[in-house]
Amino acid sequence: MEFTAALQKLGGYQPRSSLKAKETLKTGVAQLRSGTFPPRGDNGFETAEGLFLAALDEGDVETAQQCLEILVNKFPESPRVDCLTGILMEAKESPDDVLNFYTALLEADSSNAAIWRRKAGVLRRKGKIDQAVEELCALLDTFYTEVEAWLELADIYSSCQQYTHALQTLSHALLLAPQNPLHVLHFAETAYLVPDIPLALKMFLQAVDMTDDDEQDGISPADTVPTGLALRAWFGVKLCTHKLVTEPKASNSPSQIASPTANVLASLDDLATERLRTAYLETTRESPPTAGAQFIEAVARIIPA
Amino acid sequence: MSSSAVSLYLDPQIRDWVLFPITIVMILVGVLRHYVVLLLQSPPKKQPKEAIREQRALMRSQILRATAAWSPVPPTYYKSISQSLSKAYEDGSFLKDGPPKGDEKPTPPNPLSDPNAMDGMMAGMKTQMVMMVPQMIIMGWINFFFQGFVLIKLPFPLTLGFKSMLQRGIETPDMDVRWVSSLSWYFLNFFGLNGLYRMILGNDNAADSSRDMNTPFAAAAMAPQPGQPQDYNKLFKAERDNLEFSEGLYTWTASDVEARILKKYGRVV
Repeated sequence: MEFTAALQKLGGYQPRSSLKAKETLKTGVAQLRSGTFPPRGDNGFETAEGLFLAALDEGDVETAQQCLEILVNKFPESPRVDCLTGILMEAKESPDDVLNFYTALLEADSSNAAIWRRKAGVLRRKGKIDQAVEELCALLDTFYTEVEAWLELADIYSSCQQYTHALQTLSHALLLAPQNPLHVLHFAETAYLVPDIPLALKMFLQAVDMTDDDEQDGISPADTVPTGLALRAWFGVKLCTHKLVTEPKASNSPSQIASPTANVLASLDDLATERLRTAYLETTRESPPTAGAQFIEAVARIIPA
Repeated sequence: MSSSAVSLYLDPQIRDWVLFPITIVMILVGVLRHYVVLLLQSPPKKQPKEAIREQRALMRSQILRATAAWSPVPPTYYKSISQSLSKAYEDGSFLKDGPPKGDEKPTPPNPLSDPNAMDGMMAGMKTQMVMMVPQMIIMGWINFFFQGFVLIKLPFPLTLGFKSMLQRGIETPDMDVRWVSSLSWYFLNFFGLNGLYRMILGNDNAADSSRDMNTPFAAAAMAPQPGQPQDYNKLFKAERDNLEFSEGLYTWTASDVEARILKKYGRVV
């Protein structure tokens, strides 16, 4: 299982500079120079893989190359090392070469999901969105449980403004990880863009329900200050209620979700405003403007990305 | 009692030339067997992606149904997923050889003619052979050279019931049960060395012989049965009913979420 999880992680890996990667790289390079790399023991080669990824995060192709050589010498046939080879090739060779490499690997073993995902990723970065979508769809048709791949597909759809498709894709991610409020929030935001405001409102509320910790030392959620995901969800609620109140056309829902009655809507709007006002007071120490549109604009500045 | 305690005096040569050799040979054979089995094991065959897709198709509807009674997905999306799955099961588009044609009966392939199935069976046979042959040889060796030897005296007294266990191969009704015969020493090692192997070779070693002694056939039965391939078409048809049931059970978590939130924050409408 551990091996599968590692492969899944490599399948979705993208270089991203971080403080942790810098530290790993620093200690790793020192060890490499002094010839004590990889460290002995069970985790030695995992450390080598970690250093490899950290080096790529920081763009240090040399070090990555050295780590890869250590790993290739130790495990010449491993699909995991194949995947690492591919990642390094992406960093220094042309996309076409990498694609050829991946295609050859997939021909030898068509069930290698990690390589398949990397191939789709390369296609996407090369600008061949249509092929990337095709590959991802085929991948997900075979390996249904790859949540990360579903999210990536949804991201591609959203970037092409295919929000309805993105929603369908996200609904699979919701099914696979129903406990994750991030997916719910993501779904709600995409629904807002469709636009399917009643659905978005429901999902935002659902996200609120999942993120405000209602059993915090007996303090009722009404007395807490919303932060993080909950704040973002409340902001979404406010946007939806504002839109539903001001624009009568917004209650049209492609997915036939009835928008709440005027009474409920008014109290929701009131509640969301109160919550956001609390958060705004807490962060900026001044009270936000009261008018609807200006209020939203002011609050938008404190919403975490 | 004291007379029986001094009645037997074991030559130290027996200890050096019989007791230790038997034990060491058994340990070494176990270790050797572990490596031979490792050599014989062929890596599991990679499945083509079509086969994986067929195998995992049922999982999709199971995932959908798992949360059906309190589903995170809005009704229209649930319905569309459920119905498209149902349709795909009906048409057989998940089957690796494509939808079945007409009413032609698929015949189960003969396991002896399918090279893949043969490989699986042969691998099982090979490991079985590596397990059984050395044990038989060792037992023959002990029986031939050391039959009737008394090897060791246990440091604790035992009741008469253990006589058949500890003094196999010696027909002496009066001897103290604490004396262990060569054949019994073999059996004690046979069942008792597992802990030592685990220490030397790690947890899932192939050296432990008593394991396959206990379950020579259970192990074979556990292996995927090559003779009876799953009829996925039938399974899919059955799954359609389950999908329909779940559609009846379906409720959306967010169907009354406004009321829940308002209540939680103490607002009453």
